[in-house]
Amino acid sequence: MTAFSGHLSLRAAARADGRTVLAGQSFRAPYHLSKPYWDADAQTLLVQVVNPTAGILSGDRFESDIAVGKDAALLVTTPSASRVFKMKDGTAECRQHFTVAAGGWLEVMPEPLVPHRGCHYRQATHIAVEPGGGLFFADLLMPGRVAHGEAWAWEKLCLEIDVRLGSELILRERFEQTGVELEALAELAGSGPAACFGNAVLIAAETGEDQAWRDAVAALHGNGLWVGVSPLRRGGWSIKFVAENGMRLRSGLRAVRQALSMRFPRLTCDPRKL
Amino acid sequence: MKSARATSTKSRGSRRKEAGPKPCLVTSAATETKAGSDSYAWIGGLLQAGDSFYPTGSYAHSFGLEGLAQAGVVRDQASLGKFLFLSALPALRRSDLPLAAHAWRALEAPDWNRVGEISVLSSSLKTASEARAAASNIGRQRAELAASLHAHPLAREYLRRASATDWPFSPPVSAALEGRVLGAPLSAVLAGVYYASVASLLAAAMKLLRLGQNGCQTLLTTAMRQSAADIAAAMDTPFEEIGWFNPWLDIAAARHETADGRLFIS
Repeated sequence: MTAFSGHLSLRAAARADGRTVLAGQSFRAPYHLSKPYWDADAQTLLVQVVNPTAGILSGDRFESDIAVGKDAALLVTTPSASRVFKMKDGTAECRQHFTVAAGGWLEVMPEPLVPHRGCHYRQATHIAVEPGGGLFFADLLMPGRVAHGEAWAWEKLCLEIDVRLGSELILRERFEQTGVELEALAELAGSGPAACFGNAVLIAAETGEDQAWRDAVAALHGNGLWVGVSPLRRGGWSIKFVAENGMRLRSGLRAVRQALSMRFPRLTCDPRKL
Repeated sequence: MKSARATSTKSRGSRRKEAGPKPCLVTSAATETKAGSDSYAWIGGLLQAGDSFYPTGSYAHSFGLEGLAQAGVVRDQASLGKFLFLSALPALRRSDLPLAAHAWRALEAPDWNRVGEISVLSSSLKTASEARAAASNIGRQRAELAASLHAHPLAREYLRRASATDWPFSPPVSAALEGRVLGAPLSAVLAGVYYASVASLLAAAMKLLRLGQNGCQTLLTTAMRQSAADIAAAMDTPFEEIGWFNPWLDIAAARHETADGRLFIS
């Protein structure tokens, strides 16, 4: 089976008229790009990154580098879940870099990662935001192919994220639990056998208007959804949510974005517009 | 006077570092035949630093446990035991203990840039601000006590640099600093961190749950049985692999920040 060495590079820049365009782009299979869509209401350029293959297989390597310039605004999403298939041997790895200049805005909101039985996958995410830049990054994880009765069965799954504001590390998270470990925690917390996870990071300068959206996000807690929001060391917030199933996870994320959009209107950009 | 044993312990520690550490305090002590008073002074120091009588302020924190108790997740000895073994001990093994191990090594030379990097990482690993503030306060108190009680130049220099470069204070880094100030070997420092962390958590649990002292001591004893394995794993954890994930704990800690009523600061 052929392994991919995928590459994606995007550079978003603001034109003189205020619209964001892709000033630079290059990609190699399995990455493919949709035609960008300018959402005039949200003042944000929407780009879908497509993987036309079935999913991620042993030996696949992915490298992406997405940069947003001053005054540009970009939403990057995917049209479907990323499946990580069973690997008899070998591993797959994805390294993604996101950078935002002062005055720029980047939203990264891929569909969930679905680790299949016996997969061995590592994803390393590096985010660097200059002071004055803004970002909303949301990573979603399903426990497996729940509809097929398969969950918590990955061989090895490692998800890492670090976020720097300027040159300073403000957040580092590392997930490398076994399925057994995470399933046991889900059972203890009462989130059930199909618990799904959302891990979001919001980077923005703090203002006196933040309490309203924080209260609105916190109020989403309940009815099968755990939600918590807390300030990071500097310049942003961690927003975590755990849902009892995939549908609740998606509706939870939609509600979080809606609550945030009162303060960050670019989050009104509909990622399913395309 | 520096005894021959002190030299012997140091060289043994160096060999461990090269060959892969196997913490075994009992063996290390048992093989010594002449107990020079200097060589064991660190034991008393570590006992002092790990005692609830030591004014670190940790008694005011539940380290997220109160939030989980309010959420109904931890409600009795059985669920507390699950939380301890499914979350608290793995977090120690994969986060606080490796941080302390790396800090202890960095403080040997000392490599101050590395110490600063570890301090920032320690703070960045905590997504809930209450947990981060608790760690910062406890870490600061421990570091200041190490400097004031022992009048040690390493602790003073650490405080000076932390202030000058705005390093966040960190309990694991401060524990490593205490260890260096006292002349304690790494395995002993990590054992101290392990005991103090579990004991603090269980002491908080006694105030939150219907739980007796014997129940807590049972959990503490069971936890300590796996300390050697956890410490050995932590000593071998690469810097870039430090970290642990429990979203429910992070969410509970975040929600605790705005709870209507609470017993603990965190």
